[in-house]
Amino acid sequence: MKIYFELNGEPVYTEIKPGEMLLDLLRRLGMKSVKEGCRTGECGACTVLLDGKPIRSCLTFAAKAKGHRITTLEGLGTPEDPHPLQEAFAEAGAVQCGFCTPGMILVAYHLLSHNPDPSPDEVRAAISGNLCRCTGYVKIVDAVLTAARWKREGKWRKER
Amino acid sequence: MAIKRYHYARDVEEALSLLLAYEGRGALVAGGVDVARGLPGEIEGLIDITAAGLSGISREGGRLVVGATATLEGIRTSREVKAYMGGFLSEVMGHVATLSLRNMATLGGAVVSAHPWADIPTALIALGAEAVWRNEERTERAPVEELYARPFRAIFRRAVLTEIRFPAWDGAFAFEKLSRNAGDIALINCACGLGLDAEGKIAWARVAVGATPYRAARLAAVEELLAGEVPSEALWEEAGHRAAVEARVGDDMRASAEWRRAVIPVIVRRALERTAREVKGDA
Repeated sequence: MKIYFELNGEPVYTEIKPGEMLLDLLRRLGMKSVKEGCRTGECGACTVLLDGKPIRSCLTFAAKAKGHRITTLEGLGTPEDPHPLQEAFAEAGAVQCGFCTPGMILVAYHLLSHNPDPSPDEVRAAISGNLCRCTGYVKIVDAVLTAARWKREGKWRKER
Repeated sequence: MAIKRYHYARDVEEALSLLLAYEGRGALVAGGVDVARGLPGEIEGLIDITAAGLSGISREGGRLVVGATATLEGIRTSREVKAYMGGFLSEVMGHVATLSLRNMATLGGAVVSAHPWADIPTALIALGAEAVWRNEERTERAPVEELYARPFRAIFRRAVLTEIRFPAWDGAFAFEKLSRNAGDIALINCACGLGLDAEGKIAWARVAVGATPYRAARLAAVEELLAGEVPSEALWEEAGHRAAVEARVGDDMRASAEWRRAVIPVIVRRALERTAREVKGDA
C-alpha cells in the first residue's frame, strides 16, 4: 500500500507494508536517528513526533502516519546547523553513547514548546519515559535547562 | 506478522462490517500499542478506528462520556474530565505509563485489553463506568465490572466498543498506586469512593483493588464495613486490614502475595483518607 505523509517538513509518498512499524519505515527512509531499543515501548529510543506530539514509533503502525506530520531529530537540526537543544546537549556533555539522545531531545523539544521555563523536576518528569543506558541523567537535565534558558533569552535562531 | 491489509474505517458501521467480514482474522486498531505488542499470528487485516468518530469527550449533566478512541493523554488534559469528580479520572491517567505512550493508547484499548496490572480498569470498576458497544444486531451496554465477568474477549471479536459512560456520584474518589518507578506498571493499585449523608456518616463506599496481580475487583465486605459509619482514622485502618483479608492476592515476577497483603492496608487507608478529605472539602 502507498501512503502520503509529511516527514520533517517534506512531502513523502511511499510504499509500505500493511503491518510495518513506523520505526522500520523511518529508518528505511534514512532517518537513522530513530533507534530501535526494546521494541516494546519501554525505552523511548524510537520516539518521534506525530503532529508535534511524542509517540513510540516501535509500536506505531507505519500506516498511522498517513496524512500526518512526522518529525525526527533530522528535522530539528543537522551537524552543520544544529538545533539549540543539540548544541546544549553537546555543551553539557549530555551525550555518552548517544543512543537515547534523539528521543531525549525530541521529548525535550516538546516540553519546551509548551513550557519554556521548566523546573528540574518538570524536565525529569518529561524525560521519565526515556531510558539512558549509560545512566547519565544529570547532564541531560542540565542540557535541557540550558536550552530552555537560551530559548527564553531569544537565542533559538530557528523554530520549526 | 502476516498482515495483508490495513483499513481506515470511516465510521462504526464500516469498522464492524470489516471486522465481521474477516471472521476472526481481523483486528481493530486504535492507538495500536497492545495490538503491536501481541498480535496473534492468524490476524490478516488491521482496521484502524481512530478516524471513526469515537474520540469525543463530553459531559451530560454530572455524567461524563468518553469515546473509545480518546487517547489517555487527551483524557488527562481534557477540561470536561478535569471537571468530573474533582479531576479523579485525569489524575488516574497521569499514573498510566508515560506521555509518549499516553499519546497513543486509548481508553477503549485499556478496557478491551483489560490487563490485570492496569490502572484504568481499577478506576473504572470503582466508578461504576459502563461500556457501550455495537455488534451485528444492536448497541449493548454493561458496567465494565460486569463485562469482565463475561467472555468479553469473545464479545469484542465481533463488536466495536464505542464509548465509556461515567455516572455522577455525590461524593469523591481517590486513586493510589505502588510501582517501582513513575512510568512502571502497578505492583498494586486501588480506587476508593465515598459519599456522606446529612449527618456526616458514610452513605456509600466503593473500594476496588487491582494488580493483585489479578484484574481489579470490588471488595463488597469492605464497602459494607464502611457504610453507615462516621469517618475516622481508625475506620480507614480497619477497612484497610479488612481489604487485605478480602482481596484475592497472588505471586508474580514483580511482587509476592505476602508483600501485596502487607501493602493493601496502606494504600486503601491512604485512598480513603484522601477521599474523605475531598468529600469534606466539597461539603
